[in-house]
Amino acid sequence: MYTRRVAYSTITFLAVFIIQESLFTQIRFPWGGFSLLLIFALCWAALSTPEIGAITGFGAGLLLDLAPSSGGPVGQWTLVLILVSFGVAFLRYGDESLRGNPLSVVLIVTVGVIVTLIGYLLLGALLGVELGTTSELLKSILGNGLWTLVVAPFVLPIASRIHRGIFETRESQ
Amino acid sequence: MRYGGNNRSRLLLVTLIVTSLFFITLNLRGVQVMTGVRNGTQGILAPFQRAASTAFSPVGNFFADISHLGRTKAQLKSLENQNAILRTQLLNRKNVDSEIKQLKSILNLAGIAGYKIVNAKVISQGSSSGFTQTVTIDIGRNMHLTRDMTVICGQGLVGVVKAVYPTTALVMLASDPAFRIGVRVAGSQEIGILAGQGTDQAVLQLLDSQSSVQSGDVLLALGSQGGKPFVPGVPVGEVTFASDLAGGVSQTAEVKYYSHLNALSVVAVVLQPPASDPRDALIPPKPIPKPIPTVTIFASPPASPTPTPTK
Repeated sequence: MYTRRVAYSTITFLAVFIIQESLFTQIRFPWGGFSLLLIFALCWAALSTPEIGAITGFGAGLLLDLAPSSGGPVGQWTLVLILVSFGVAFLRYGDESLRGNPLSVVLIVTVGVIVTLIGYLLLGALLGVELGTTSELLKSILGNGLWTLVVAPFVLPIASRIHRGIFETRESQ
Repeated sequence: MRYGGNNRSRLLLVTLIVTSLFFITLNLRGVQVMTGVRNGTQGILAPFQRAASTAFSPVGNFFADISHLGRTKAQLKSLENQNAILRTQLLNRKNVDSEIKQLKSILNLAGIAGYKIVNAKVISQGSSSGFTQTVTIDIGRNMHLTRDMTVICGQGLVGVVKAVYPTTALVMLASDPAFRIGVRVAGSQEIGILAGQGTDQAVLQLLDSQSSVQSGDVLLALGSQGGKPFVPGVPVGEVTFASDLAGGVSQTAEVKYYSHLNALSVVAVVLQPPASDPRDALIPPKPIPKPIPTVTIFASPPASPTPTPTK
């Protein structure tokens, strides 16, 4: 059962990664665009336990780090996403009123994306990565947040359906 | 019920964090395994990117144009009147024409300077999840590309090859915040360092405190030893605003790149620098102002009334 879950989850995330890196990189989105993998990973984490959330963050972060267009050292996305995914899963898991409310998940994911990007920038600054002008960074982060608000409502049902298919035993607990 | 966590989950979290820190340390120490894994990822992604590029190239900038809706409203209105087939054909034709035009201008630039170049198509515009400014091109080690080769387009400098994969290469654009290039001012030959800012504007810092630049000055690549990473003479940009020298060690200026880095489709990689520095041969010609036809109206007195005979 465990192996099947890991295998299906890995295939799902690899598919999202390939779609992100081959299709979405063809389009020049205004205001910085968005990362499908990041949104999908945080939606996935929001539907999971904190442990699975952390592992999801690790896997998705590693994929983002291995993307050829990634600027920072391998591990930078991984570290930030482990913490944010754990946090998102922890918040969702801890507050019963948030359960079953898609709007709250979308908001948490949006905040999660913004926090991830800020965390990535801060870690990049600590590691000596060139960051660019403050106005451009702010525009990019806010743009990513707005795009996430638009895209997450479409990603969430898909992530939820796949998640339920793989982790259906957890739902029955 | 609130999740309180347990020792197992804490141990898992700590293990994952330590693993990621381990990756960062390995990467910063330059361990080749990490580079190899990234190369492998690009190798896997390249066929998908090529296929997507073929399918998406006519509509790649569609979403970017949404932000200019106000300006292109009239154009959009007229396009709505055309039928779908004609529109698709027109888009495809425009794309091909644009690529031919860009190729011609690249060949013209390289021909004047004597650069040995190889043309490439942009197959990916870089990741929107990061803060770097890069593009992926469809040639790599198969066309003898190596790191630190100059990349140009018809208007001038595009960037530098950052990483080379078997059939693709990653190009760091001149607009990347980490991008630095030595430049000289055409004519006065003053030298300085140009730094990318993440936009189509860059900042020039002159090296000599006694020298100065002014708006409209043209900047050319100074060139590096052996032509790597930069070949000499490539047009880089034009000074749009020169700061006041007072209070500073040396003058700084804002520079607008000649290349339109947000809409690249065809570029060229310089494989071999010219035998001699082309100096100022590649300065783009100033646009010739078109004379505006004027109409002069002379006020002439009305014809004098003819006297009518009175009876």
